[in-house]
Amino acid sequence: METDLVVRAQHGDEEAFASLAVAAGDRLHAVAHRILRDIDLAEDATQQALLTVWRDLPQLRDPARFDAWSYRLLVRACYAEARRMRHWAPNLRLLPADEPSDTDGPSAVVDRDQLERGFRRLSIDHRAVVVLHHYLDMPLDEVAETLGVPVGTVRSRLHHAMRGLRAALDADARPTSREAVP
Amino acid sequence: MSTDRDVTRIVRSWLEEGATALPDRVLDQVLDQLPATRQRRPWWPARRIADMNNVAKLAIAAAAVVVVAVVGINLLPASGGAGDGGPAVSPSPSPALSPSPSPRPSPSPTPAAVFPPRGELAVGSRHSMTLEGVALSFSVPTSDWMSNGSFGVVKSTGVGPDGAGFIFWTYTPTGVFADPCAYKKAAPVGSSTAALAAAVATIPGTVLVSGPTDVTVGGHPAKHVVLTVREDVDCTANSFMLWYAPREDLARYATELGSTIMVWIVDVDGTPVWIDGETYKGAGPVPGQQIQQIVDSIQFE
Repeated sequence: METDLVVRAQHGDEEAFASLAVAAGDRLHAVAHRILRDIDLAEDATQQALLTVWRDLPQLRDPARFDAWSYRLLVRACYAEARRMRHWAPNLRLLPADEPSDTDGPSAVVDRDQLERGFRRLSIDHRAVVVLHHYLDMPLDEVAETLGVPVGTVRSRLHHAMRGLRAALDADARPTSREAVP
Repeated sequence: MSTDRDVTRIVRSWLEEGATALPDRVLDQVLDQLPATRQRRPWWPARRIADMNNVAKLAIAAAAVVVVAVVGINLLPASGGAGDGGPAVSPSPSPALSPSPSPRPSPSPTPAAVFPPRGELAVGSRHSMTLEGVALSFSVPTSDWMSNGSFGVVKSTGVGPDGAGFIFWTYTPTGVFADPCAYKKAAPVGSSTAALAAAVATIPGTVLVSGPTDVTVGGHPAKHVVLTVREDVDCTANSFMLWYAPREDLARYATELGSTIMVWIVDVDGTPVWIDGETYKGAGPVPGQQIQQIVDSIQFE
């Protein structure tokens, strides 16, 4: 079904693309938000990625590879958004459907806090590998193909990133100052 | 000391949190731009030649020879001889790749909310938007203010002592968070500006600086509240939720712990219109003054 939509959209069918975008928008946005850790930047990256998907869709040789190809364009858009260093001041956030329960203990809050800081210290290259592998469950060779880098590079980035996150979790004390939200 | 397995489990669990739904307005913006965004056509055949069988390859090769021969025969007499460069043959688009005439299936039944287009806001110009169906315009005092094209206006210097920002709410928030770090919402307080301002003034984890105060915005009565987000709350800034607008399913969170947040809830002939501004820890007087200048410049139409 999706392949049929991709082929139609490749031929300029806006109706088919609209259906594709509705289906792909949420998953692309979820990944962008996890890489960029900022809802505004994530929305901008997703919007840019979807427009690039539309623009470059005729150049996609294998419609069955649409999902992986769209992730590649999304990660590029995330790079671009991060480079802009816009540091949007006003923040709006979608209320999470699964709000954290009241039984979340202090240690869970601390973990989230420390992970957030540790993750923000990672480069977009490293964040992308973590999100594609640990959020989307992509095998490393597929991550490599999506990002257009050798699988050894993916392994190295993942190792470095997880080491950084582990160090953040193992930090003995919570810092006294807070980082601004990028 | 965490084991690798612990770290992986925690990271995976943490990654499950966060936004998953792309707001309709973003999708609408994408679809609205399709007609103006030309698709890039490939220069290669849509199907890879490596995927074809030998008969197909031979057929294509033979066809190519025929095409070259026919084109050559047609061009030679017109060129008056080889080598003097005949007219360029402009490629015609493949009929198979021409855009479908079918229109977009589900145009938004209501016009998109008006907001200044993304980019720098010109000094000396009026910038228009529609909030709760109420049209208004404002001006900016300096050239470093920019719009995000949908809801935000910020000083482009970004977060930090020199930065500042506004959120203009398309739909007015109806309640605040009772436990901002735990995403626990208080019950909606309705649409009364007085009730909304009173709720803002009592959000846990904040320090009330002033208000609710009766002020005037664009000639209409308004409630004004100023508060700061405490720096010792038990969550990060982007987990500290302030107020929510169920109609958009959106909530405001602090940009930075220690931020000062200013809220104006304007009663425009019975319709509450919500604007909030933010300056950051260590800010000098300028960002706050400019926020007030922008609010003072608001005119309702």
